[in-house]
Amino acid sequence: MENDYGIPTAPVVTARFADYVERDKLSHGMALRFTYPPYPVGWVPRETLHRYIEGNDPITGIPITQEIDDALTRPLSDFERNFKAEKRPERPRLLEPDTEENLHRMFLENGWTDGLPIILPTEERVAEMLTGTDRKPDEYVGMMSVTTHEERLQYNVEKCAVIAVMAGCRPEHFPVILALGASGRPSMPSSTTSFASMMIVNGPIRNEIGMNSGLGALSPVNYANSVIGRAWTLMSICFGDMRPGATFTATTGTTINYNNMCCAENEENSVWEPFHVRKGYKPNESTVSLFRGWNVLTQGIGPAQRMMEVAKNLGGPFGGSYTFLLDPLVAKSLKHDEGYNDPIELSKYIAGNLQSPMASPERINFVVVGGETNPMWVTTDFSYFQTVSIGEWIPKDGIKHDEKSLRMPVPVTCADGTCGITIE
Amino acid sequence: MSNKCVVLDPIGQPSGIFGRRLEIDSPMFAIHDPTYQPRDTSENLSSLKMAERIDTLEGKAVYLVNTGFAGGREFMEELQDWFAKNRPGVKTILKNKTTSMFTDEPDLWREIKQNGDAVVFGVGG
Repeated sequence: MENDYGIPTAPVVTARFADYVERDKLSHGMALRFTYPPYPVGWVPRETLHRYIEGNDPITGIPITQEIDDALTRPLSDFERNFKAEKRPERPRLLEPDTEENLHRMFLENGWTDGLPIILPTEERVAEMLTGTDRKPDEYVGMMSVTTHEERLQYNVEKCAVIAVMAGCRPEHFPVILALGASGRPSMPSSTTSFASMMIVNGPIRNEIGMNSGLGALSPVNYANSVIGRAWTLMSICFGDMRPGATFTATTGTTINYNNMCCAENEENSVWEPFHVRKGYKPNESTVSLFRGWNVLTQGIGPAQRMMEVAKNLGGPFGGSYTFLLDPLVAKSLKHDEGYNDPIELSKYIAGNLQSPMASPERINFVVVGGETNPMWVTTDFSYFQTVSIGEWIPKDGIKHDEKSLRMPVPVTCADGTCGITIE
Repeated sequence: MSNKCVVLDPIGQPSGIFGRRLEIDSPMFAIHDPTYQPRDTSENLSSLKMAERIDTLEGKAVYLVNTGFAGGREFMEELQDWFAKNRPGVKTILKNKTTSMFTDEPDLWREIKQNGDAVVFGVGG
């Protein structure tokens, strides 16, 4: 309105977000004149709103109505006429040398970690991580911001290697990290709602790097799942410029942010085409698919009708989007007992019974994950956003494995009843 | 005495690229989707200008636009009530955005340009 239509505006934002808005406006190229009534405005009695309007802006102490009048009538200052959106200063490649102890403290106290211990990204460790791809260290990968308007931070292959080292990755994981970086998508976007993300890996790389798609795939029982999922979080912090209270405003937050539900699809035990094939990729392509929502809503058991009823009765803030994680036994039952040869038919069935105007089959997705110890499914309110190819980041000679790859114990499966039991 | 070590800076480099408002036909969730989020350069954004202010609200038409966050409509209704009681010389027109709070709405902007002198937007947060 200000620039395109020449109409003076008085934007009103609650005082809870005054800091955020004052900084955010630096990214809009205009020093807009905000008025800040008390917080909250939603779900409060009319009398409260009336009191807000008759009262003062708690930030400036000026009466709200006077401030609105002033925003629309006080002549522009030279500062307001010449306001610029400014690029931040470049950062150095290396930090000042210090002891390991002090550097760990600095990373933690600067908010550059998720609060868990990291591996310090020394030049040697980063150089080793870079052996996980053929790409040059200074090659551009992407840019990211957890906000919608603030300046995006860009990163090259070397910066991604720094994050991979910090997360505890090995070079064999690095192509997945680069694919995540190429998406440009932070796992924790700025919102007062507490967003959660999920990442599902498909294709040959799942098994080549020892990812878990079976028993406990979403639990902390697998090295690759753990460090890759964590790397997306660290990427969001360091590349997305996630700073609590400043650019990160999730009111309760969610523990899903620690690892982003990182796992692989159980393609071997699924009766359906792999998820990435349903999104247009070839079965032998390695990909990572990214989802975002808020909650893991239920763990359920039962036929398609039960899934539909759950979706109908539960929903995130916008409703209509669901991603179900199905144990392979569920997919088998849906196919063989209920005739869902293609999951899109199941999507159509559920979407057709939802009340939400936003419901559509494309927004109801299914991923097969689990160890076949119980025919259960997990309901999430996650939307599918995109699938990113990993293949272009893999060295032409193949995944760079350690001489002896690090692997956690795999779930024991056996047919003779002695699983996990040592018999003298 | 502990040995010192050298580590790389983990923070991304500035790009000079900022986000820009969404278009009216932007897909749902586009505000949180880097694939659809419009971008602009610091140079382009810095060329944006604030509008000249009006000398007074008296005798003018002020649009009160509820952008769609919870409580926005009720807040604007209360504000309209305040103007009616305390500044009867100011004509207020209350409008609710028909798209989401994140998207552009050129039809409404054109109406305001044609019939209005100033706008109060809110309530964010």
